[in-house]
Amino acid sequence: MDFLGDGFRRAWGLLIAGDSEVFGIALLTLKVAVVATAISCIVGLPLGYFLATRRFWGRRAALTVVNTALAFPTVVVGLLLFGILSRRGPLGGLGWLYTWQAIVAGDVLLALPIAAALSAAAVQGVDPRIRRTAETLGAGPWRTAWTVGREARFALAAVITAAFGQVVAEIGAALILGGNIRGSTRTLTTAVALYTSQGDFGMALALGLVLVLLALVVNIALQVLQGRGGG
Amino acid sequence: MVELRGVRHRYGNRVVLDLEQFAVPRGSMVAVVGHNGSGKSTLLRLLALLEPPTEGQVLFNGVAVRGHAPAALRRRVTLVEQRPVLFRGTVMENLRYGLTLRGISRAAVHGIIGDVVDRLGLQPLLVRRRTELSDGEVQRVAVARALALRTDVLLLDEPASSADRAAAGALYRALAAERAARPLTVCIASHQLEDAYRWADDIRALADGRLSPVTPENLFRVDLPPGDGVKAVRIAGGGIEIVVMTDRTGPAVLAVPPTDIFVSREPLSSSARNVFKGRVIGMAIEQRGAGVHIRADLNGVELVAAVTAEGARDLALAPGAGVVFSFKATAVKVF
Repeated sequence: MDFLGDGFRRAWGLLIAGDSEVFGIALLTLKVAVVATAISCIVGLPLGYFLATRRFWGRRAALTVVNTALAFPTVVVGLLLFGILSRRGPLGGLGWLYTWQAIVAGDVLLALPIAAALSAAAVQGVDPRIRRTAETLGAGPWRTAWTVGREARFALAAVITAAFGQVVAEIGAALILGGNIRGSTRTLTTAVALYTSQGDFGMALALGLVLVLLALVVNIALQVLQGRGGG
Repeated sequence: MVELRGVRHRYGNRVVLDLEQFAVPRGSMVAVVGHNGSGKSTLLRLLALLEPPTEGQVLFNGVAVRGHAPAALRRRVTLVEQRPVLFRGTVMENLRYGLTLRGISRAAVHGIIGDVVDRLGLQPLLVRRRTELSDGEVQRVAVARALALRTDVLLLDEPASSADRAAAGALYRALAAERAARPLTVCIASHQLEDAYRWADDIRALADGRLSPVTPENLFRVDLPPGDGVKAVRIAGGGIEIVVMTDRTGPAVLAVPPTDIFVSREPLSSSARNVFKGRVIGMAIEQRGAGVHIRADLNGVELVAAVTAEGARDLALAPGAGVVFSFKATAVKVF
């Protein structure tokens, strides 16, 4: 029990003191998570809308692929992208390996299926009369999509949260693609793993608390958004 | 104005609409009647250019519309669905929706909405949200939202199904005023035959996705002979003549309201000019109330009469039983 208590006390001390390493890692994690979530949602939400509303040959197969990708192991994604970004890989020339951009690329690949599959489900849950009504009142494709999206806003906010949660909590791709380099590619999850293996439980716990805090802030933001919703 | 040609529309393998030709002429008001599932709503969705037919063509002003209609063309037609939905936001925001899409100035939007709100008595509802409205109010707002757009073609699917008589009257009067002011083309699907009789220029019946010469509501296409007053009109496909009182001649639609038909087992001694013997071929309890619809084959013509459940019991009516339908010449409505 002393071991746990000491860990919490040290974590609290680091957070109160504003430890530069803790906050540096937290900031990098936030940057990677925000950029990756934004990219995956900018691509994934329209893709989900398209899959939910258009009838085309191969649609069912496309939905199956996207849904299967939800369960893709993060280390496998990291491994595949490692091959692509490594010096001998097709995108080796970018020089992204062991940079935060490589972590973003891996996280996008992991969060994109979440954004696409869950937003497709969210849009399918909207009363189809909403779309028809928008169209019959003269809305073009973009305005119709916007109108349908407004109706599904709570579900879409949850999609964004889920994508953010995936990105901020994953470790496999971040470890393989970023290399856990101090001050450069060390994220909260990779740092927690490292400090735990080094026996610095207090530091690991402090970083873990920051990670939980990040998730909490995002969820509170979602709840505030839902609270504002009217009919 | 808007026309379907050679349309066969399928959902999966099921043909839901099969129409050789269906046109709504410019400035006219056409009512489409028929049972639930007869294809009325699908017909209106095709006319609204919301979905292309599986087979056949939709023509707008004589020009074939290919595939999904562009927004510019869709903005000339609007549909109010049977159970309309309002978007998130207030009634006022809903009324603005289509107008702002058309780039109409704020001042003009204000004027148009004020006009339509006055006509349909929506002033008290303007700041309410959809969750604060009854079904009838939602329907009125949806009609107002469509009327405000001043489209060339207005399609209404059971627009007064949730409205009380006063609200339905206000709605039809607003439509009439709009039609008097400009050549608005209207196609309306309705169960409320009285409204269809009263307001439409032409009534068409749909049954199983096809145009039908007869409906459970006793509508018949006929060719009225010249002359004034009492006329005996032969009903196509059957061996009876219906006596009507009308000064009209030429193609027309006869309607015999089921509630105006006397049902008996033997001919009654009465002033009714239309007395037909036949056999009961079906009985159905009305969805509302305790009435029973008696469907009879009267020498090759099907007619439906509405009686009370008690009346049907007293007459011991059952499929196969002999029956006599009687109604006055003045009960037959001519359109």
